[in-house]
Amino acid sequence: MFAAFRFRASARARMHALRELYRRFFGENTPDARGRRLLVEWLSPAQRAQFEQYRYFDVTGCDSGKMYRIHYGTAANVHQIDCDGHAMMGWCFVPSGFLVPGDVMLAQKIALETDENGALALANRFPTATHSEHFYRRPF
Amino acid sequence: MATQIVMDQTGDTRHEFDPDNAEALARAEQRFRELTGAGFTAAFRTGPGDVTRIKSFDPTVQETLFYPRLVGG
Repeated sequence: MFAAFRFRASARARMHALRELYRRFFGENTPDARGRRLLVEWLSPAQRAQFEQYRYFDVTGCDSGKMYRIHYGTAANVHQIDCDGHAMMGWCFVPSGFLVPGDVMLAQKIALETDENGALALANRFPTATHSEHFYRRPF
Repeated sequence: MATQIVMDQTGDTRHEFDPDNAEALARAEQRFRELTGAGFTAAFRTGPGDVTRIKSFDPTVQETLFYPRLVGG
């Protein structure tokens, strides 16, 4: 009887380990996770540190030198900021298709850093009060 | 090996090719033309966090990223 109990306990532990492995494998191979990995690979060290801490990162527009903050999200997630980091204006432009947040953010970063005027020419502006900081701070 | 990374709904799709293989290189160049012709933007990294856009296929680039045409949200 004691042996049967031990067998059941070890089977339970094995099942738990398997379930955890399954959860991790699929958790890290979701489109979302792949998009985040790609984004992080293409960020500068400073942007990466900022993103890991705050779920956003700042970029400098290549044409005007203005600063933009790209929040985790797929729409209405780019804010033009002042030197103190306060949002002044929202810009909404996204890659077409239904891409995951990491991909959207990377496309926005590249667009602002390599063709700021082109990106803003097609963007829609929105007031910064539309979304609170809390809106963007949702966990992954 | 060089890689072309295409953003899509799965996160991304990666196409690896040997730049020393003429046939693979031609296929990669064809893919580049098709994607940019369809409105994708091509870019590559020049340093940590530094990105440059390219309009024509460059066989010396190790990793090229393609993202779909931008639209106003």
